Amino acid sequence: MTTKAEFKQDMPPPGGYKNIPYKRVPAKSFFGGWAIIGGYLGMTAGASYLYYLNCKAVKIRQLEMHSASLAIYPMLLAERDRAYLNQLRKNRDEETKLMANVEGWKTGTWYGEPIYHTVPKNTLIEPNYQEFYVHSSYNDFKYRAHLALLS
Amino acid sequence: MGITHEVELPTEEQLTVQEINLSGPALKAGAFHLGKACEWENNEFILCRDELKDARCCLDEGKAVTSCALNFFRKIKKTCADEFMQYVHCLDKSSPDQQFTPCRNTQAVFDKCVKDNLGLDRPPYDYFARVHVHETERPRPEKEGPVLYPDATPGLPKDAPRPAAKYGSRYLWMW
Repeated sequence: MTTKAEFKQDMPPPGGYKNIPYKRVPAKSFFGGWAIIGGYLGMTAGASYLYYLNCKAVKIRQLEMHSASLAIYPMLLAERDRAYLNQLRKNRDEETKLMANVEGWKTGTWYGEPIYHTVPKNTLIEPNYQEFYVHSSYNDFKYRAHLALLS
Repeated sequence: MGITHEVELPTEEQLTVQEINLSGPALKAGAFHLGKACEWENNEFILCRDELKDARCCLDEGKAVTSCALNFFRKIKKTCADEFMQYVHCLDKSSPDQQFTPCRNTQAVFDKCVKDNLGLDRPPYDYFARVHVHETERPRPEKEGPVLYPDATPGLPKDAPRPAAKYGSRYLWMW
């Protein structure tokens, strides 16, 4: 046995439907444009001041290191000069000994032909790296030439 | 090598003096006081080297520098050895490149000791990077004038006639 279903028309709720929320809901803004620009400028100014202080401190630190190096430079240079001249003389003696049996060889020249003709005889022409190490082993030369890469 | 027997090189006896047997951190630790104590000798030596540009001419000045530094470090050893070694260790162990910044405390102790015993103040941090006036008896080296060649082309006299150019302007871009 069936009962006839009672027909009921769907109707809007009393008072009507709510409005469709199509309006924009902006996020809550804490700062206006001017405040943001002002804040940016203020923070940049503050950071610049800190940066300036830091730069000054770094500069002073570097200058102090440089100053200390300059203070001991004459002493190191004096010691280096003596060692250098000593080695130059040793090199010259070594060349004289090595080439003693070669006919026509004159130390410091190519069979009597000097490097420069116009400088006074007593001028010290500083040898280059390879020349300076020419009578030593290649390992010594290599070590000294690449010393900066080792540290 | 380009050094003949006519080039005078000092003998080994002239070059042998007692050198300073100290390592890098110790030199760094004593640098400021050393530079102040031996200021005149250092300046004289560097002036000589810069003026003459020859290591052979400045050996005596260099020996004076070394003996002055040696004296200074001897005095430090006699009076402030402990403070000095403490400072040296701090410089050596605190940073890879012997920075002064981490060692201000030991430095202050060392400075005070040097001040009390040797009467030497630590110069300002940029003292040796400044320009200083150095009083010396050293004669000024002669200035080399321009080279005069005997067979040089004599050139026109000042009042030589300069007629107008026959074939256009003698100046570029100015016609």
